[in-house]
Amino acid sequence: MSSETKIEYQKKEFSPKVKSVGLALLIFGIVLVIAGYFVSPARMTFNNIIGFTFLISIVIGSLFFVSIEYLAGAVWSTPFRRIAEFLTYGVYVLPFILIPILLNLHDVFHWTHPEVVNSDKILKEKAPYLNVNFFLIRILGFLLIWILFQRFITKNSEKQDFSKEQSLTTKNIKISAIFIPLFAITITFTAIDFLMSLEPHWFSTIFGVYYFSGTILASLATITIAVIYLNEHGYLVKGLSSDHYYSLGALMFAFTNFWAYIAFSQFLLIWYANLPEETFWFLQRWEGSWIAYSIGLIIIRFVIPYFGLLTQPSKMDPKRLKIMSIWILFAHFYDLYFLVMPNYSRSGVVFSWFELGFPMLIIGALILIFNELSKRKNLVAIGDPKLKRGIDFRL
Amino acid sequence: MSAVDYSHEISVVEGKPALRELDDLIIKPLETKPNKNFLIALSITLGMLGFFVIGLGLTFYYGIGMWGNNNPVGWAFDIVNFVFWVGIGHAGTLISAILFLFRQKWRTGIARFAEGMTIFAVMTAALFPLIHIGRFWLPLYLMPYPNQHSLWVNFTSPLLWDVFAVSTYFTVSLIFWYVGLIPDFAILREKTENKIKKTIYSIFSLGWRFSNRHWQHYEMVYLILAGFATPLVLSVHTIVSFDFAVSILPGWHTTIFPPYFVAGAVFSGFAMVQNVLIIVRKIFHYEHIITLDTLEKMNKIMLLTGSLVGYAYGMEFFIAWYSGNPIEQFTFINRAFGPYAWAYWIMLTCNVVSPQLFWFKKIRRSIPIMFIVAVFVNVGMWFERFVIVVTSLANDFLPSSWAYYKPTYVDFMILIGSFGFFFTFILLFTKALPVVSMAEVKAVVDGAQPSHHDH
Amino acid sequence: MSDKILYGYSAIFDKPDDIIKAAKTVAEHGYKKYDVNTPYPIHGMNNAMKLKPSKLGYISLIVGLSGALAAILTMWWMSAVDYPIVYGGKPFFSFPAYIPVVFEVTVLSASIATVLAMLFIFFKFPNNSHPLQGTEYLKKVSSDKYGIIILADDEKYNENEVKNLFQSLNASELEPIYWDNDEINHKHKIFEPKFILFLVVVAILNSGAVYFVYNKLLFMVPFNWMMEQERQNVQQKSLIFSDGFGMRTPVEGTIARGHLPYQFYGKPDLAGEKLINPIPVSKSSLKLGQEKYDTYCSPCHDYHGTGQSRLNGQFPNPPSLHSEKLRSWSDGRIFAVITEGQNVMPSYSTQLTEDERWAVINYIRVLQRAMNAKESDIK
Repeated sequence: MSSETKIEYQKKEFSPKVKSVGLALLIFGIVLVIAGYFVSPARMTFNNIIGFTFLISIVIGSLFFVSIEYLAGAVWSTPFRRIAEFLTYGVYVLPFILIPILLNLHDVFHWTHPEVVNSDKILKEKAPYLNVNFFLIRILGFLLIWILFQRFITKNSEKQDFSKEQSLTTKNIKISAIFIPLFAITITFTAIDFLMSLEPHWFSTIFGVYYFSGTILASLATITIAVIYLNEHGYLVKGLSSDHYYSLGALMFAFTNFWAYIAFSQFLLIWYANLPEETFWFLQRWEGSWIAYSIGLIIIRFVIPYFGLLTQPSKMDPKRLKIMSIWILFAHFYDLYFLVMPNYSRSGVVFSWFELGFPMLIIGALILIFNELSKRKNLVAIGDPKLKRGIDFRL
Repeated sequence: MSAVDYSHEISVVEGKPALRELDDLIIKPLETKPNKNFLIALSITLGMLGFFVIGLGLTFYYGIGMWGNNNPVGWAFDIVNFVFWVGIGHAGTLISAILFLFRQKWRTGIARFAEGMTIFAVMTAALFPLIHIGRFWLPLYLMPYPNQHSLWVNFTSPLLWDVFAVSTYFTVSLIFWYVGLIPDFAILREKTENKIKKTIYSIFSLGWRFSNRHWQHYEMVYLILAGFATPLVLSVHTIVSFDFAVSILPGWHTTIFPPYFVAGAVFSGFAMVQNVLIIVRKIFHYEHIITLDTLEKMNKIMLLTGSLVGYAYGMEFFIAWYSGNPIEQFTFINRAFGPYAWAYWIMLTCNVVSPQLFWFKKIRRSIPIMFIVAVFVNVGMWFERFVIVVTSLANDFLPSSWAYYKPTYVDFMILIGSFGFFFTFILLFTKALPVVSMAEVKAVVDGAQPSHHDH
Repeated sequence: MSDKILYGYSAIFDKPDDIIKAAKTVAEHGYKKYDVNTPYPIHGMNNAMKLKPSKLGYISLIVGLSGALAAILTMWWMSAVDYPIVYGGKPFFSFPAYIPVVFEVTVLSASIATVLAMLFIFFKFPNNSHPLQGTEYLKKVSSDKYGIIILADDEKYNENEVKNLFQSLNASELEPIYWDNDEINHKHKIFEPKFILFLVVVAILNSGAVYFVYNKLLFMVPFNWMMEQERQNVQQKSLIFSDGFGMRTPVEGTIARGHLPYQFYGKPDLAGEKLINPIPVSKSSLKLGQEKYDTYCSPCHDYHGTGQSRLNGQFPNPPSLHSEKLRSWSDGRIFAVITEGQNVMPSYSTQLTEDERWAVINYIRVLQRAMNAKESDIK
């Protein structure tokens, strides 16, 4: 059955244009960020948090994607698993984006001000968790976990390109099994620390799952964009069919629904019970131009991707799929903005060049990472025993 | 472990049996007279069903005062059992719909059975809302809604959502089940010599003739139904969780309830499916259709969902502390160390600790151990609902009305009886219908599909 | 056998690869009316037969969306138009709370419609009298063989050509399939008198049974339990208590809610010291006070409290309520007078509840202030 399928993969250099585009975006982004920090440090720190959580979504979400493939024994994603692995290298960018936040903690987190905490009974009670030292320990610990597992998994996978040992797959399955629970914990507490504690009085048990759903969407969208782009230009292994695209599209469709489900559950329960200690978070997002923004979230994050990915042809056609992926990536940014920015601007939505710095920086950095890695490594896990089955994959 | 070859797909059906043999093997229980073991099993379940009848008789004659429900615990065994049984049903839809969407071929051996379980579990669950009103013949007045006073139902009530959710769930599951059965009915129609049986099978098979022009639409409909059933199954337990979570009772009102309930439902459902399947495959010699690999995969899903439930427990506890709300904090401390601590720790041990054994491959593939773990999981999941319902009600905002809930013997009779009700249906099902989908299993046997793709 | 009408010519194959090839070849030869019968769906067969994608998805979409819309409109009409009721402080049309029901209705209507459309419109089921029914061919393809059949009414149909084609494809068996004459000639008579009679009998029995259950059975033993409840009615004899009374006297010292006994009989000055007006001055309490004052007090005291009332001369005139003494009295002191009476004035404790007495006092204060307004009040 599989004996007929040949693995046809030719390593190709990226065109120099890729590097220049990535570099331009990165530099322009850095300039905007630095300028932003000079003009309005508070606003920029809020943007920095959006950027940080956005990059975590893409990078750690990709790592999750890779480990789930190992654990579930999935084959359809094997031909482009390396793309997800490349994205995980973004984990080394995370510390650089984190540093400015740590330098400006006081601008965004109320609970870092001792005088505020001392005059607030509830914040005082939370102090054992919400204090600067523990916060630093947590995020550094998370980064360490992520970097370690990124190294383990990608190293084994890359080694397999040459050794073709099956035992490496077994090893990675075990590593992935350990990573998944750690992923759940780290992503949850990242969401609580960086997004929920912006409004330290508010709490919601589902919040970690909410961020998780967005994370998966963002990483899937990024992977899809990269796969479609690279495959169109012939950088990947031959034989990727519409069935592979369909699977990616179907997953994005499923998680779009999952996000809507989680977001709706959170909203309905708080709206219905109507407890003032919970509702104020939504009321903040129901003021001035935030009303339009909140309604926009439903449409941008759910309605458009839902109908955009509903039919079979829309998932199989790379062009339409690419548009929807870019849209979903944008929608994740929109969602994070919804979570973060009402804490900066209560009265209404603000948007100008401040908000553009981090997205540009991140996209530029990811493109450069791809460019660098593509020179040194294969874009396809050619030694993976599942690869042939993956190319053969049909619905 | 290192012997695993990842470059080849593991066969879903072992031993490459001939298609005709598969048919015969699956049809065999339908063609043969029930043997002694079956009759013993049936008499046990009928005995349990007898408890049900007596318990319900007492309830109907003397009223629901026979139950332990009292202030402040006005909701107890009835809703615990309802939630438990609805949850059991969820695994069936998960296997038949979600795993279908994920193209997991190993589901074919167990899908039919799991779907059947869904239907019987939902039937069992639906009894409880009916009997808890005490006068079970009076719901007749609800359908059609008697609107002499031109008053309408409260569409914002989660209990009303429940009615919509459970009845939709039951209907769609039944349709899904029946659609899957049509080709099998046709196979039975072609096979049987008995005239009465042939008539019955002809009626139910509707004249299916295995035409590919039909298969094409059939597969599409199966996909669509799976696409509908997937969010539906999420919505059902979500809405069941809304019954609790839209209130403001500490321990009930928490936003993680919807996904947490769904994970728990799938968890307990898988445990139940696995328990029953282990027996079925042994009795009917389906070891090569319902393979050890399949059971291992089910154990992995139990490990996953069990850990998700554990995550939810942890999250609830953490956020209760984090909220800074003393009442919320008290509720959770009270759960773990209060008068119902025994129930809480049973729940935690059975649900979170025991599935962790499945980290080890040896245990995942050992049938006796997985059977015991699955029983534990069912016990634990029943206690989870008990802990949620009872502890929150027993110690609520008004300390003067706190009380300790004690179930009565009638409560236990109904609980045991509900198992009898469920298992009686399961047993009859194994004798009346093919418990494995013949058409689906044949399609995944090695060599059943063309050897190369040309599209 | 020549009187039988040919339905088509069938061939049986043993391997899935062969049937794919056969289907492809038949399609390439330009046959339109043919069909493939396989025990399970074969991958790639739709492409081999060049079938167009199934349109059933559109039915789900359309019916589902209509179901959603219908659910929203129904709920909106019921809860916001026909009989609006506030539940839990939510708006009449609370859309978030409707989403669960809308979702369920969407799924239910779409699933039912899709399946019904497939079975009864697309497949024209039930069809147990199809020519293929009861043939050896169908028996084989239901189990482990793969069959193809070219229909006789295809434009290009020619028995020999078809036979040769199948043989060249290595078919293991060939068989012509005929219409069943009995079935062709059989006509269903829906309006047969027997059938109509059957329907009528069923309808009568059904409605009779429903009438009986709803209107008679539910009022018979044992279903009338709800009406026959064991309890003690007022003035009934009781077997439980030794005195034989069903009604019980309350425990000594029991006080009815909201009716604290008046403790200052004969001690109006002490009442003036101890009693405090619990009713705050508000628009509603003043309104109540005015109403009660006008009813019970004004006949003697006058609408303005001057004592020059419409009963003037027929009855001893009460003193003015605007005297220095009365204005300096505490609320409690006035309360004592209303409760106990004073001189000629009788007690008003039966006419006015405690709250109403306090409300009247509040109103009297208003009258006093109105009659003795200060400069500062005008501002």
